[in-house]
Amino acid sequence: MAQFLQATVYGLLQGSLYALVAVGFSLVWGVMNIVNLAHGAFVIMGAYVALEANLTFGLDPLIGMLIAAMALFVFGYLVQRLLINLVVNAPIWMTLLLTFGLELFCVNVLIAVATGDYRSIATSYAARGFSMGSVRVPYGRLISFVLAITLTAALAAFMNRTRTGQAIRATGMDRVTARLMGINVRNIYAVTFGIAAALAAACGALIGMVGTFSPPGAGALTLRSFVIAVLGGLGNMWGALAGGLLLGAVEAWGGQYLSGTLVNAISFGVLILVLIVRPTGLLGRPFYEARVEV
Amino acid sequence: MTGRRIALVAAGASLVYAALAPTFTTGSLLRTLGSIFMFATLAQAWNVIGGFAGYASFGNVVFFGLGGYVVAVLMAKARWGFWPSLLVAIVFGVVFAVLIGLPVLRLRGHYFAIATLGVAEGTREVVLNMPRLTGGGSGITIPALGTRATTPYPGNRAFYYYFLVLLVAATAVVWLISRSRFGYALRAIHQDEDAAGAVGIDTTRAKTAAFAISGGLTAAAGAIFAFQQVTIYPERLFSVEITVLFVVMAVIGGTGTVAGPVVGAVALQFLSEYLRSHYLEFHTLIFGAIIIVAVVFLPQGSVSFVREAIAERRLPLLDNVRRNRL
Repeated sequence: MAQFLQATVYGLLQGSLYALVAVGFSLVWGVMNIVNLAHGAFVIMGAYVALEANLTFGLDPLIGMLIAAMALFVFGYLVQRLLINLVVNAPIWMTLLLTFGLELFCVNVLIAVATGDYRSIATSYAARGFSMGSVRVPYGRLISFVLAITLTAALAAFMNRTRTGQAIRATGMDRVTARLMGINVRNIYAVTFGIAAALAAACGALIGMVGTFSPPGAGALTLRSFVIAVLGGLGNMWGALAGGLLLGAVEAWGGQYLSGTLVNAISFGVLILVLIVRPTGLLGRPFYEARVEV
Repeated sequence: MTGRRIALVAAGASLVYAALAPTFTTGSLLRTLGSIFMFATLAQAWNVIGGFAGYASFGNVVFFGLGGYVVAVLMAKARWGFWPSLLVAIVFGVVFAVLIGLPVLRLRGHYFAIATLGVAEGTREVVLNMPRLTGGGSGITIPALGTRATTPYPGNRAFYYYFLVLLVAATAVVWLISRSRFGYALRAIHQDEDAAGAVGIDTTRAKTAAFAISGGLTAAAGAIFAFQQVTIYPERLFSVEITVLFVVMAVIGGTGTVAGPVVGAVALQFLSEYLRSHYLEFHTLIFGAIIIVAVVFLPQGSVSFVREAIAERRLPLLDNVRRNRL
């Protein structure tokens, strides 16, 4: 029982990080109908920015996180504006291939610059922790859990309450009408992609603080984002959060009771089942009910 | 019509060259050519479901892996010969495609792409976790040498011909499809599935058949590849990058055309070999950049590109950007 509790707590803490990775992925997919296979690479890039800020200027990863987010926002904005916007109307596998090429490019630039070694960002507090009964909780994991949920809530508030957020939602629902209402769609697409990249980078800094990262790990993060985005419903922030926590817990339980790497097969099994039985996600209504495909 | 005649002559000449190549080349070049034929077959098989029917499967590698494992398990555990194992592998690929296709082909667009990706990744994990049957992560070895061999290892030149014959067969199948009623049904599904259904095409049956043909051809390639490699591992045989590689080949060559996937495979594989030998460290990086450039400037594929360029007597390089940009 103690083991089960520890696994559950650990799974939920880890799941909050998955959720923060997936929330931007889900936003991009929901608004622009682009599956960004380079999303995991953005996470790793953010982690390296935070690591570099830590090694060069001695910045705490929680501050380095902001720098990483800003840097990746600019990068994401430019990638969408100058590259992906050129092919948004092409058949869907074109954007898949494009982002796959982008992923190969980013990951291999990182390997060339920083080698493929596992790195982490050292802090004095992340590994220390406290115990609740038999369950141990490290401070770093707790901080990242709280931050992941705060950022998700902040994104949801941004989407609902600001003009830019509403413009993003309107563009996601019907691009042509949004344009007629005076929204600069090219800019909105780039801003959306930038936000997703910034959140990924922030999460990268947190991952670097509580664990390790390396360029080849990007693909696994992207694949989890798939599962979570589909579980939660596309573009649905709270859905992504719930999906992330669920996936984290399932993985932790699977790690306890299943042999080998069979737990991965189960998350893919869940993915396919959800796709076939309930493609709008587990949390009810799809975010973009009124979506008009153009 | 002259363009078509030139293309036919070129195709015939390269076929004659390919058939005679083993008499004047050996060793590594022969292996490279063999692997080009294999990837061209995979791209051609993907073309049936992805190019004609418009269902972008990102998990076609699952048939490749299963084909390889069926042959390896039958030869190593059941002590079958290669040829009956190959036959079973093809049937297995077809049956698996039908079973997976019935639920998964109901999905469209990204959902289909990701579901197939999930099938491939999930199947790899299952194969990885059945060590009694498949050897798990440490791989399985086909008895290929000495008295333990069920079929003696046929050597470089034979595998070259196996892959060549398979490619010719795959291309012939695609050629037949492209001219048949079935091919027009697939194209109609590609353009508008609801409309295709409305004019009386049994879309479920057509899609499933296309997926089954694709699965059978891919499984055959995987089976020959497994025998050539002797020892196979789940990570290598079910690697998603293989799928992406042959999708890129089909796209660069031209999806929905007969020659496109072959042209794309030849071009890309030679390029990849060149990059590997000259820029070992950066070859994946450059490869990523090539994919990006190809998708932006050549999304209709080089076959259609050349056709358009000849018809309009100019290079339609930026037309696609104008058409597809926001």
